[in-house]
Order: sequence, then C-alpha cells, then structure tokens
Amino acid sequence: MKRAAIAVVAAVGGFAGVLGFNLGGSRAPLLHTSAPASNPPSGPPATPPPTSPGGSTTPTTTAGSSPPPTGVRSAVGTTYQYGYGQLAVRVTLDGTSITRVDTVGLQTADPYSQQLAQQVIPLLRHEVLAAQSAKVNGFSGATYTSEAYIYSLQSALDKLHKK
Amino acid sequence: MASIVHTEEVMGTVVSFHLDAPRMGEAALSVALGAAVAGLHRDDETFSPWKPQSPLSRLRRGEIRLEDAPAEVAEVLALCEVAGTLSRGWFDAFAMPGGVDPTGLVKGWSLERALAGLVEAGVTSAMVNGGGDIALHGEPPTGGPWRIGVRHPWRPDALAAVLEVERAIATSGEYERGRHLVDPLGRLGPPPASATVTGPSLTLADALATAVAVGGDAALGLVAAIDGYEAYLIRADGTEAFTEGIRFADADADA
Repeated sequence: MKRAAIAVVAAVGGFAGVLGFNLGGSRAPLLHTSAPASNPPSGPPATPPPTSPGGSTTPTTTAGSSPPPTGVRSAVGTTYQYGYGQLAVRVTLDGTSITRVDTVGLQTADPYSQQLAQQVIPLLRHEVLAAQSAKVNGFSGATYTSEAYIYSLQSALDKLHKK
Repeated sequence: MASIVHTEEVMGTVVSFHLDAPRMGEAALSVALGAAVAGLHRDDETFSPWKPQSPLSRLRRGEIRLEDAPAEVAEVLALCEVAGTLSRGWFDAFAMPGGVDPTGLVKGWSLERALAGLVEAGVTSAMVNGGGDIALHGEPPTGGPWRIGVRHPWRPDALAAVLEVERAIATSGEYERGRHLVDPLGRLGPPPASATVTGPSLTLADALATAVAVGGDAALGLVAAIDGYEAYLIRADGTEAFTEGIRFADADADA
C-alpha cells in the first residue's frame, strides 16, 4: 500500500513528477537565463479532434491501487478548457518511461491564443520527455496553457496507472 | 492511511489537491474532498464577475444590495478593504472598471477556505493549488519544507526560483496575456514581470501579489512591513528584488 501511494505521488508530484523543469542556475540573474521572447514553434499544431463538452474533471486517484502495468500503452487525457481555448494530451508509456507526448485537441478562441499555445506546447512536450526527478512540490505563476497541458497529461497518466 | 490527488476545473482555472491523511479512511477523505470541491464551485458561482447572474455581478449592476447578497460577499469585500489598507492602495478592489471586483483576492480566500475544511476533517498534509496560488498545510509526503517553483516570466520551460513555503504562496504577472492588471494609482511605466508573495494567509498573499505586480519596488517594502509576509519581484527588465525573509531553496539539493 505504501509503495503504491508513493508511486502515485511520484507520477503526479504537481508538475514536477512528469516535468523536468530547468532548475539549473536558478539564482543566476534572470537576464542571463532568459530566452528570446519569441520561441519558434518546433512542432506542428495538432489537429483538433471532437471533444466532449463539459467533461473536464479528472477522476480522483486514490492510493492503494496495484502497481502500474508494463509494456507500451497510451491514453488521452481529459480535454481541458483553459480560459482561452482547450486542449488534450496523449501520452505513450513504455514500461514506466514516457516515450511520446502529443497534443491531440488544441482549439483556441482567437489567433493570439493559438500563437501562444504553439509557442508554449512544444516546450512543454520537450520538458515532459526530458523528465527528471521531482524536486519541487508545486508551481506558482503557472500559465493557463501550461496548466491545461500538465493536467491533461496528468489525467492521461492517471488512466494508464489505474489500468 | 489515505492519500488523494485530484484536479478540478473551477474558477476559470484548474485546482489540484494533494492530500494525505494517515488517520482517515479513504471514504472519509473522499467526502472531505467532495465538500472542499463543492465549496470552490459555490464560491465561483457567488463571486464570478463573468457570470451575469452571480450575486457579485448583480451587485455590480445595482440589482441587489450588499445585504441581499450571500454573507460571504460582505465578508470578502471587508477583506478587500483590509488588503487595500495594508497595501496602501496598490490593491484596490473598489477602483476597478465595471464596479467592485474582488477577483484579486477571492481565489486565494476560496482556496484557503477549502484547505481549512480539509484540515478540520483530519488531513495532515495538503497542497491546494489553484492556478499557481497555493495553500499548504503540514509537510509534503517526502518531508521537509514545501518547495514551490516560481515560473520564469518569459520561459515556459524554466523556473525563476524555488521557494520554501510553509502556508501560502501567490504569484501575479502579465506574462501570458499581456496587461490585465489595473494600476489604481494610474502610474505609467512598464509593470513588473512577476510578483510572488508568501505568508500565513493565501487570501492576503493573493491580494499582496496583485499589489506588488502593480506597484513593483514601491510595493515591495510594504509587504516586508507586514509580519510573516515576504515578496519576490521580477522587474520588467528581468532584474530581481526580494524582501529579506524570503527563503530561496537550493534548486539542486534533494528535498
């Protein structure tokens, strides 16, 4: 039971369990670590599939479930409305490793939000695939886009871990 | 021994719960979580300025008087007055276009209330994170202080800092949506990129983060003067400032 509880926390861990945020040199002056304002999109925008309206609450994950299964498998997370659009994330696992993360349901209300999402999402995908150990418990100042991405990813992982 | 992770879409954002309750059964913890979630939705229905029929919207249009609204509305507006005084006007819910708008405080208030109910029910370790405004109780399951990353204002994949936090942290900034904060004192000049406030109450931390996001360095000092509260500011030019008591975690150390 205890072991399973830890597995769930590690898989969720705020964003940290799945995301390897760039923590290096965090006390260095921001001027030297900040990237150009325009991050070119590094991947194509996803084509929006039909999404179920309203279905937006992830199921509760309760500790005590059996250990995660092995093998290659994937799941699509909950479609999240994030204020300026909606998105869903599909995650593919091989064993316990995330091998692929795709945005499968990106719809935005306006071109500016689309532009923002296309800048943010490739970076998030990269960070997911570069997953590192959880060193922080949560995040403050999260952007809407990244929140939706993370929580859809989390709900996809929840589905896989509960099968 | 019960433990729950839950995410809920409410208040225009996503609220995540990370709860541990060694002395509670899973059923009891689920009931407590359900009550907390219901409370968030209830507060959203009461205070949303974007929902035309919310009591707050009706109050703003003059359709109802304060005494006709749910009691929480008067409570929150009173808290807004306190926050306005403490922030010396940098947070001013009464100077917003469209009428009184407690949005800069009410999310923190609602999250703090949700956390209090969970703690009362027996939860011993809790993180309630509403879009980056976080109410905390006890210690994380891994032990030690809660370590909260503050997002880098211009890099979605990076953190500007990791802070050790006991009770509450709120960050306000304009980095995703452009200017949306209103400077009640009508000053010119670029607003700060990111303003974070930690302290014992998320209600006040939320309001003070809004104040620092508007007032920048000028508002930093007043946060320092409030017992228990600290601030971390990233200016528009990328330079940083913070109050003396803020606790930066060593990002590379293991928790």
